[in-house]
Amino acid sequence: MGKSTIIPFGPQHPVLPEPIHLDLELKDEKVVKAIPSIGYVHRGLEKLVEKRGFQEYVYVAERVCGICSFGHGWGYSKAVEGLMEIEIPKRAEYLRTIWHEISRLHSHLLWAGLGADALGFESLFMQCWRIRETILDIIEQTTGGRVIFSVCKVGGVRRDISDNDLKEIVKRIEKLKKEIDGIAAIFLNDETIHSRLKGVGVVSYDDIVALGAVGPTARASGVPQDYRLGDEGGAYKDLGFTPVLATEGDCFARAKVRLLELYQSIDIIKGCVENMPAGDIAVPVKGFPPAAEYFTRVEQPRGEAVYYVKGNKTKNLERFRLRTPTNANIAVLVKMLQGCDLADVPNIILTIDPCISCCER
Amino acid sequence: MSDMVCNIVSGIVYLILAPVIGGLLAGIDRKISARMQRRVGPPITQPFYDFFKLWDKQPVAVNKAQRFYIRGFLLFAILSGFFFFAHGDLLLVIFTLTIASVCFVIAAYASNSPYSQVGAERELAQTMAYEPMMLLVALGFYLHCGTFDAKAIVQSPAMNFIYMPGIFIGLCYILLIKFRKSPFDLSMSHEVHQELIQGALTEISGPTLAMIELAHWYENVLLLGFVYLFFAWAPIWTPVVGIAMCALTYFSDIVVDNCCSRMKWEHMLSSAWVVTLVAGFANVAFLMYMR
Amino acid sequence: MSYITKSPWLVHYDGSSCNGCDIEVLACLTPLYDVERFGIVNTGNPKHADIFLVTGGVNTQNYPVVKQIYEQIPDPKVVIAVGTCACSGGVFHDCYNMLGGMDKAIPVDVYVPGCAARPESIIDGVVKGLAVLEEKQKAMAIPVREKQALREKELEPGVAVNKSQEAGK
Repeated sequence: MGKSTIIPFGPQHPVLPEPIHLDLELKDEKVVKAIPSIGYVHRGLEKLVEKRGFQEYVYVAERVCGICSFGHGWGYSKAVEGLMEIEIPKRAEYLRTIWHEISRLHSHLLWAGLGADALGFESLFMQCWRIRETILDIIEQTTGGRVIFSVCKVGGVRRDISDNDLKEIVKRIEKLKKEIDGIAAIFLNDETIHSRLKGVGVVSYDDIVALGAVGPTARASGVPQDYRLGDEGGAYKDLGFTPVLATEGDCFARAKVRLLELYQSIDIIKGCVENMPAGDIAVPVKGFPPAAEYFTRVEQPRGEAVYYVKGNKTKNLERFRLRTPTNANIAVLVKMLQGCDLADVPNIILTIDPCISCCER
Repeated sequence: MSDMVCNIVSGIVYLILAPVIGGLLAGIDRKISARMQRRVGPPITQPFYDFFKLWDKQPVAVNKAQRFYIRGFLLFAILSGFFFFAHGDLLLVIFTLTIASVCFVIAAYASNSPYSQVGAERELAQTMAYEPMMLLVALGFYLHCGTFDAKAIVQSPAMNFIYMPGIFIGLCYILLIKFRKSPFDLSMSHEVHQELIQGALTEISGPTLAMIELAHWYENVLLLGFVYLFFAWAPIWTPVVGIAMCALTYFSDIVVDNCCSRMKWEHMLSSAWVVTLVAGFANVAFLMYMR
Repeated sequence: MSYITKSPWLVHYDGSSCNGCDIEVLACLTPLYDVERFGIVNTGNPKHADIFLVTGGVNTQNYPVVKQIYEQIPDPKVVIAVGTCACSGGVFHDCYNMLGGMDKAIPVDVYVPGCAARPESIIDGVVKGLAVLEEKQKAMAIPVREKQALREKELEPGVAVNKSQEAGK
């Protein structure tokens, strides 16, 4: 025994929604070393700030990633508003929060479906995505697009949601809650899923802190790292927020954290709708960004994303830098892959919820 | 009509009808799975469209050995079915089926792709898991009916299942492996998102892939024939019971497929052997005691 | 009867896409849109596929990858470029790393615009691709001598003799 093979995993692979290449050195179906090779989705869009006006660029920022699209639009707008010291109306803040939490719902359900599919559980994949269509309907009716919303802008939001529509959203989400109960019951109680996920890809609290992981990956090992806790002026502060934590640090704990965050998002949306302030949805933006720097953060479904902007008194910003959560989680991924079985490789890759297009921009 | 002519005729009927029945079973499988997932699903004749489409594709083979061994796989799968339905010896049928799986494994090893190699290793692990139970099935029939001959077993005085429930449970468990359904669809899967791409089938395409599909249809009909042996006995109306139980077994395999995720090969091996030991051996011990 | 239009298997690859079009492609398999009722199966293996569904544009790193996947697919095959980025580069067409749409790397048969392309458009694109696939298969089935005769008919009478002599060498 002791045959060593190198399996090239990706960039084209049915289990991966996005191209990432891993050279897996195997010894009898156990991974000894994993060497990642990224760069397939790199478009170089950070340099586009030099060509597109600062207000126009929000549409490019949204297209960093199709799954966390709204979060990127929000982060960029927030950064430029902070740079230009614009204060947006409270209603816009609450609307943005509602859309962002809806985005989190759709992202976690998408992840649940892909995770189930990687385990070979195709019917669970179909059910998760069928439920997700309800959310996509809500998004389409309020913004016009299923995937790319294009409602965030520098200064506020472009569209309003009427009070009737808000009540309708709450009704639909209540109905969705029952269906999520069904999915969560299978995920958390099924024996075959337990045997595949429990004890796989364990990361300790200290490793998470040392490697700098963020998001549900970190929260599943007990690290209470969630930007919504430290939110300065948004709806999260008004509503109060506690992060969902787990302690085991294995794939099952990460799945549990994401499923529980679904319920938390539903509660946040309901809270926002109940306390929705009246008022404008945007303020006019005059002038150009000053020659200064600003950075802000947004808690994306995958973790904390950092947005840095630098202005130079012209229509185009000088620099836009985005540190996405997957950037921070790749180190943890490589650590988890060492010593795992070949059959666990897709599970481990999907457990950090990789968004390679976010990672490479 | 002499016995031998009768046997050969029923063998030839198998040769002609089995691909049709096997293909329809595969189509029904996909349709029922789709309905369970709240989808519409393809038409029942879809596997036949797939087969003819694959036949027309440009052949892209890694090397000639692959095609040779897959032809061997098809040939031995057909032969084992022919022996079975021509009322032959059960033990001969089981061993011919084993030769068929070995041909398939060699074909998968014939290419250098690491996915193919790992898929072939998993296929061998699967063979290790189900072979003991298949042999126990033959042994159980011998102990109960006194013969390996399929025709005599079907004419036995009482339903075979009554004396061999443990062996039947063991057979159902390994049928999940042989029909390539979750939780045991490790080496190759019709569902896409698995870690080995298509596993043992990764480097096989076009007409060769069509031959593998055909071989699986023949094999599935043969396996359902094994289930039939448990439920048909001497009276003339019992084939209905036999066929009904075959349908029920197939349907329950589809249900299990839709309710489970895939297991790792260590679990598959250990659980298959545990079931073989507990259900199979206990039954065989009981039958030996009864003699 | 052309069976290939009744059982088209597709392989999907994400070029430099933002992932929006990819999740819409996967959404086509799910209960609301369900393309399996047309016999379409999303196989992950290029060697088993007939249709190459590609999203995102071509950049310097994935140019050889896209070409390699295209060459692994056996004939007859169809390439469907899904999304504005695959058609022309989209919002990113003037980024430094982008070479352009998918037709810079491989020949594209059907262009499906949209950002992100809706599942309905994708299914429509696939159906149009099936018509192209059927034509390609008919062309494949014509034996070589007939193809030569068809080609000669299009040339001038004097030239045809020389061309066929040259082809025979």
